[in-house]
Amino acid sequence: MGREVAGSCLDGVVMEMVSAYCGRFYAAKPELAAGRIEAIGFQVGHQLSERYTMDRPRFTDHLEAIKFICKDFWSELFKKQIDNLKTNHRGTFVLQDNCFPWLTHVSLDPSMESTDATESDPALLGDTAAQTTSMLLYFPCGIIRGALTNLGIPCAVSADMSNLPACSFVVRIKT
Amino acid sequence: MASTACFVIVSKNDIPIYDAEVGSAPKKEDQAYQHQFILHAALDVVQDLAWTTNAMSLKSVDRFNELVVSVYVTAGHTRFMLLHDTRTEDGIKSFFQEVHELYIKIFLNPLYLPGSRITSSHFDTKVRALARKYL
Repeated sequence: MGREVAGSCLDGVVMEMVSAYCGRFYAAKPELAAGRIEAIGFQVGHQLSERYTMDRPRFTDHLEAIKFICKDFWSELFKKQIDNLKTNHRGTFVLQDNCFPWLTHVSLDPSMESTDATESDPALLGDTAAQTTSMLLYFPCGIIRGALTNLGIPCAVSADMSNLPACSFVVRIKT
Repeated sequence: MASTACFVIVSKNDIPIYDAEVGSAPKKEDQAYQHQFILHAALDVVQDLAWTTNAMSLKSVDRFNELVVSVYVTAGHTRFMLLHDTRTEDGIKSFFQEVHELYIKIFLNPLYLPGSRITSSHFDTKVRALARKYL
């Protein structure tokens, strides 16, 4: 089970998928695009979690499963671990990644954004860019949700990107 | 050496997604039903045992006359259950591990809906070959 592909190809595929769903398939309906991207991530996470848990013992509780996501799963996907994990011990976990690999090539510089400068408004451009970036983040949210669901933990995952390239994923376990 | 063995894969929603008679003994129709019945009845025992340990291989969980049920549970709570007679104890763990690898290959197929029946004849052939090798 081991062929190798350049990491940049994977980054390119992910970016193109997000832009295809946002720009071409569901151009006027960002909620549908977000849902589809998250669903793709869900299936990917579902399948990958089965594969990466193959050689290790099963999990005894939620914290063990989340720690697996932070350490082994994340290092298989991005060759690094989650930098910070916080929990309120009541079913909410915050996974913080200080340099998320898929965001390193995303810049939110409004001056380079659009070519028609007539009606461009910096705040509006900032919004569009932020919206596109948040679309990109739906994919890893789906991956985390799929992986946890396969391990038997139904949850809801959202992303917070107040300062790029750091981003944090908030996992709320449904009880 | 003739041996009876029946192998079933049960998904985490308790739906059997694959079953096969893999023993080398001559097959009798009513015995096949009985084997499946024994395996399904053992699911309750597996459910309890699965939470007591974090190992994957639960070894033998139930007996019926001379037949023993061995179970292997994956992290996604999919159960591989094997009904066999007591002569064939040794190769079972390796059998389960190799079937686990085959199962993961099926699972990674994007066109496979998790929890649906495994209909691939390739998978079937390989499982039977593994059974001949290890059991």
